[in-house]
Amino acid sequence: MNLVGVSVKNVGRNKLRTLLTVLGIAVAVVAFVLLRTVLTAWTVGADFAAKDRIGTRNKVTFIMPLPKRYLETIRNVPGVTDACYANWFGGKDPNHEREFFASMAVQTQTFFSVFDEIIVAPADKERWLGDRKGALVGDVLARKLGWKVGDKITLTGSIYPGDWQFQIDGIYGATRKVVDRSTFFFHWDYLNESLPDGGRQRDQIGWVTSRIKDPSRAADISQAIDKIFDDQEIQTLSMSERAMNLSFLGMLSTVLKAIDVISLVILAIMMLILGNTIAMGARERTREFGVMRAIGFLPHHIAISVLAESLAVGALGGCLGLLLAYPLVQGGMGRWLEENMGSFFPYFRIAETTALAAVGLALLLALIAGILPAYRASRLHVIEALRRVG
Amino acid sequence: MSELPIPSSSPDSAARASEVADHLLPSAGPALIQVRGVGKTYFRGKEPTAVLKNLDLQVPQGAFEALMGPSGSGKSTLLNLIAGLDRPSTGSIVVAGADLTHLSDSALAKWRARTIGFIFQTYNLMPVLTAQENVELPLLLTNLPAKERRRRAQTALRVVGLADRMSHYPRQLSGGQEQRVAIARAIVNDPMLLVADEPTGDLDRQSADEILTLLLTLNRDLKKTIIMVTHDPAAAARASRTRRLDKGALI
Repeated sequence: MNLVGVSVKNVGRNKLRTLLTVLGIAVAVVAFVLLRTVLTAWTVGADFAAKDRIGTRNKVTFIMPLPKRYLETIRNVPGVTDACYANWFGGKDPNHEREFFASMAVQTQTFFSVFDEIIVAPADKERWLGDRKGALVGDVLARKLGWKVGDKITLTGSIYPGDWQFQIDGIYGATRKVVDRSTFFFHWDYLNESLPDGGRQRDQIGWVTSRIKDPSRAADISQAIDKIFDDQEIQTLSMSERAMNLSFLGMLSTVLKAIDVISLVILAIMMLILGNTIAMGARERTREFGVMRAIGFLPHHIAISVLAESLAVGALGGCLGLLLAYPLVQGGMGRWLEENMGSFFPYFRIAETTALAAVGLALLLALIAGILPAYRASRLHVIEALRRVG
Repeated sequence: MSELPIPSSSPDSAARASEVADHLLPSAGPALIQVRGVGKTYFRGKEPTAVLKNLDLQVPQGAFEALMGPSGSGKSTLLNLIAGLDRPSTGSIVVAGADLTHLSDSALAKWRARTIGFIFQTYNLMPVLTAQENVELPLLLTNLPAKERRRRAQTALRVVGLADRMSHYPRQLSGGQEQRVAIARAIVNDPMLLVADEPTGDLDRQSADEILTLLLTLNRDLKKTIIMVTHDPAAAARASRTRRLDKGALI
């Protein structure tokens, strides 16, 4: 037995109160882990982006297009081995209005050489490449909407209004976990040829993704591309695929920041709950502190005793929260999100840093929560403390 | 730190000890406690209340003295001053050679840990600790290894006749047994002076008698000097001397 051991034993003094406090902390930790994992999952696509790819978009904004003719110029930049353009289509399945999925018109000729992590059966690939109205959909999306190869479907366009007919020619998987398997790819030519001749959307592309030979030269090549178009009417902004993904996420920065703040607010609330519990416990133990001071314990011993109790409760809550978080966040909810919201959360897993931060912050906040009760308990006058009833 | 000796008497022989206690005379040993011109004034707002007034007292080593008096007479205040829990407003208090008025708070706490054993009316045991752990508590302030601390706590519990209750929690003990644990806690450091504030105030007559007999045994066999505040004339009668206070002065 030692002083810290005595303090830890005090955790079990009022079992119901301790249980409720520990559960409160655990719930806060689960919420914290969930929100941090949302943040991590949102950026994990960017973090795991291919290092040998760079993206080129309109310098003004992501949503303004580039002329299609830029592709050949980019493809000829030294260091670029291949390039593929794409447009965001923004289609919806009228039969599944509430299901969001990414739909993109892509240049099929170079698609598989630039995005080599996408895998599809050779026969399906052959069929898709030869079918102007063919669509290639991710296996997660196909499973969710009940699509199979050969199905004829209609999407309603939002950026490109009207009903668009497609046939599912292939279902793709991926060699890497972080690739979104809920996207709908189709022929850019089909989109372009369906647009009015001479219209402002005709022969316009959303962005170009280039494959480069040497990933260490990504910055130089990006600069070289942008320099070519500096004197053109429409300038470009090129960057690594990771930076490009992040710039897309930048549009959501306010939401992400709000989630970030909320996750910390939750922990702050946890600290207040714990602080209240520790303060109540310390108040109830006033006479005991008086006895301890009488028999020779010093004020700092009393403070250590209170802080140790606070830390013990914080540690219990933090660990329990983490134990609950893995099956809840990673097992149940994470799997569901990956399957059903793969566009947003292709890889929903609790990061080690999140787990460590959750327990670390629970301990740190428990320590902070215990400071005031510890200080007050250590400042008690022996005789006053011994006289205290209840 | 000296080791707590086991008294020659068992609880049975303690009964015999109590029979002869009434015939004991105050020890003629050197003064363990010297209180000189002590006054203690409390303030309620700006209003001073003198609780002790110019009080002189000498208690010889080995004595067992009772302090009696009506409520508010200052007996608990005097006990607290002697035990180094509070400081006098005037005068000086020397206990076991230490001038308490000149010790810092920290030094006073360390002095209490070495010199004083406290026995309270309501036992004040920690409910989350077993009897043995409660007794071991003061030893946490020493450098003794855990095994030795346990051994000494067990010895103290044997002295108070609770060898078979070591792993019991306070809620599993009777009032008299709780007070015995508190006494074991008070003696585990082998202090020179035991201060007891109404040690039998919460007990029935039989338990009170047992506790008083135990105190007598500690006084006689372990040579502990004991100062006991009590309202109970029967308890005071077991002490070798009774002093009475009224309105802050010895009478």
